[in-house]
Amino acid sequence: MSTTKNTKMMHALPVAAYTSQEWFDKEMELIFSKTWQFAGFIEDVAEAGDYISVQAGLNNIFIIKGRDGRLRAFHNMCRHRGTQLLRAIGKGKKAITCPYHDWTYDLEGKLISIPKKEEEFPQLKGELHQCDLNLHEASVDIFKGMLFVHPDKDAPSIMEYFGEVEPYLGPHIVEELVEYSESETEPVYAKEINANWKIIVENYIDHYHLAHLHEGTLNMYDHAKAEFGWIGPHYWFYEPLVPEYAADVKNASPQPLIDSVPEDKIGAYVPWLFPNIGLSEGESTWSTFHVTPLAPDRTLVVIRSKVMNVSEWEFTKQYTKSSMHKVWKHYGNKGKYEGDPETDPMASGDFMAEDVYACEQQQKSLQSPLFSVGAQAQRGEYAIYKFQSVVKEWMEKHQDK
Amino acid sequence: MSTFYNLKVIDVVQETSESVVIAFDVPYELYETFDYKPGQYVTLKFNINGEEVRRSYSLCSSPVLEEPLRIGVKRVKDGLVSNYINDNIRPGDFIEVMPADGRFYADVKKSNYKTYYLFAAGSGITPILSILRTVLVTEERSYVYMFYGNKSEETIMFKKELDTLLQDYGDRFILEHTLSRPKAKWSDLWNTKQEEYRKGRVDEKSITWFINEYPLYAQNAEYYICGPGAMIANTEKALQQIDVPSSRIYKESFGGKVVQQEVAAIANAALNARLNGKSITTTIPQGKTILRALIDQKYNPPYSCEGGVCSTCKCKLKEGKVHMHNNLSLDEEEVAAGYILSCQSVPMSDKVTIEYS
Ligand SMILES: Cc1cc2nc3c(=O)[nH]c(=O)nc-3n(C[C@H](O)[C@H](O)[C@H](O)COP(=O)(O)OP(=O)(O)OC[C@H]3O[C@@H](n4cnc5c(N)ncnc54)[C@H](O)[C@@H]3O)c2cc1C
Ligand code: FES
Ligand code: FES
Ligand SMILES: [Fe+2]
Repeated sequence: MSTTKNTKMMHALPVAAYTSQEWFDKEMELIFSKTWQFAGFIEDVAEAGDYISVQAGLNNIFIIKGRDGRLRAFHNMCRHRGTQLLRAIGKGKKAITCPYHDWTYDLEGKLISIPKKEEEFPQLKGELHQCDLNLHEASVDIFKGMLFVHPDKDAPSIMEYFGEVEPYLGPHIVEELVEYSESETEPVYAKEINANWKIIVENYIDHYHLAHLHEGTLNMYDHAKAEFGWIGPHYWFYEPLVPEYAADVKNASPQPLIDSVPEDKIGAYVPWLFPNIGLSEGESTWSTFHVTPLAPDRTLVVIRSKVMNVSEWEFTKQYTKSSMHKVWKHYGNKGKYEGDPETDPMASGDFMAEDVYACEQQQKSLQSPLFSVGAQAQRGEYAIYKFQSVVKEWMEKHQDK
Repeated sequence: MSTFYNLKVIDVVQETSESVVIAFDVPYELYETFDYKPGQYVTLKFNINGEEVRRSYSLCSSPVLEEPLRIGVKRVKDGLVSNYINDNIRPGDFIEVMPADGRFYADVKKSNYKTYYLFAAGSGITPILSILRTVLVTEERSYVYMFYGNKSEETIMFKKELDTLLQDYGDRFILEHTLSRPKAKWSDLWNTKQEEYRKGRVDEKSITWFINEYPLYAQNAEYYICGPGAMIANTEKALQQIDVPSSRIYKESFGGKVVQQEVAAIANAALNARLNGKSITTTIPQGKTILRALIDQKYNPPYSCEGGVCSTCKCKLKEGKVHMHNNLSLDEEEVAAGYILSCQSVPMSDKVTIEYS
């Protein structure tokens, strides 16, 4: 039984890659601890002294901004007995201290003081910062207004990682946009989904499902005109608006149009940046879709959204114009099936609910002895096969090191 | 090591009324010998009024562009060599040049993604220009933020070249000029266009303004400083005030303007020197440095700037005491380990024993 289960394939990966703890642990080590990981927006660490900490695979990394405006990243782990030094968001100054025994480090991670050093640690001779007890450094950088961290202090630069795919992403100037959310402290969307993280990625990059699962929700985009491809480990995707929407997008768009996108470039840019961050760069909103694996069959999805930096009044005007627009009689917001929108995701008219539902239902079947992938759409599902190959190759490549 | 080559001057351009730019032809077989990193200097040797003199000049050309070696030399008031060069050097002349050296350089790589803050004042632009051009051409994604101080508009070296770079690389290159003594112009009376220049020196205040005005985007930042005396110290201090770690700061001093404190050096102290495997015994005449004493005796000790800057003349003090007039290159650890700059050292004991490595 277990042998048949292990050898069964999805597309390029075995089914076990979606269900076993062993695979999950390997991915944490070989993928999530060896890639640039999304850590938030630049405004999360806006002022000197601001800091945040984020999980990047097996590593907890904290980012702190110095008065020189430069971000520093260290492994969030005191060199004394390993305590995580900084938690959550708050104000720090010129030093980093560990609350446990007050070991203190400077902004370069150098150990600068230990209480009772002479009495208790006679073995530590000379300058403290030369005792090999400095914080472990990590890397931090910015890409498109987003913070990224890498557990390795000598990681290849973020532009070596993302530079080649950048021209295929949306022309949005993200730094000019502001975050939008109902609540001050929470992102627009955060949900634990009962599916392996790769199921969710595969759903995100699955062109084949757009016209079907989302036939009533994402139909304002012209799926037939979609263009997509791969640059290194990253996937890029673009599709224009349907002609009727495009013709009067200024009035029909539910939010003010993002003005850094030239008129002839308006559309939906929906790339997937390896391994776990998708972007959704549209005509009026710009969002990150961040996937954090929690267990082989459990994944946290957090979406953060940005919109134009204009007044509340501009949004109200735009919303009023849009809500009466004839385009929305035929496009968007309609459930695939008739039913109760509150209880049936397929009647909700909400494409996220549709996707979550599809992912969870697929994960359930992976247990079945009869499960197999019947066939693969050669254009519409090529990305799924390719993504699995990238995962496989990345793990093999880093296994050797 | 300190081999000089006779290089032909192929071009001399009057850059400003106080400076010239000199281009050298490097013959094919010397290409490798004269390879350099952006920021490094070459040392020139002259015989002026019967005395051999050497001076260092930073290369302002870029090693990645196929172009001749170039240096920019600015007149120093009453300066021997700088005025000699400005007054006498013509295309076709030959000059003795020692290949490039120096620890002030940028390690430029195509794959780098960095922010370079460049601070230059006066003739300190020369190595900065080399770094600037090399980075912009090689590192397609790196950013350069440059702050450049001069006395007045007429004294700005490489103004045209910088303007061209701004045009070509405006999306990644920012340049702010500051003038300490801007001259009022007639045209200012009817010229209302936005000011192109800040007023004031490259000092703590202006640097803090600059850094806040142009925050870094690529987080791997490096800071390069080159200029006369106080400018380097001021810039470094301003950067340290905001916690820029010294490991990211690179600086080059051109020497000069040191207040030489009078020290009572020992007259005719005995000198024992080990140089190139030979033992030399001689005396150091009153007022001479160890290096000059050796040169006067027709020995060939290593040196280039004779200004306490380059550390080419470094040797180890084995016995006795010395005073260093000006040490701009040895760090505390080296001094603690007994290293001295022979071009700056006068004897403070009757006997001094040194060893060149
Ligand atoms: C590593 C290095 C790189 C250099 N690169 C350049 C360069 O690219 N372009 C350039 O023009 N010069 C450069 N210099 C300076 C140059 O080597 C000479 O010091 C300078 O040309 C003055 O020499 P001089 O013989 O004319 O003056 P000297 O006759 O030696 O000195 C005359 C007087 O001027 C003072 N003085 C000497 N040097 C300076 C100075 N730099 N600024 C102010 N006062 C000074 C002296 O203290 C003395 O009082 C560099 C120096 C070093 C060490
Ligand atoms: S664990 Fe941090 S000081 Fe002890
Ligand atoms: S010759 Fe340059 S420091 Fe002495
Ligand atoms: Fe979907």
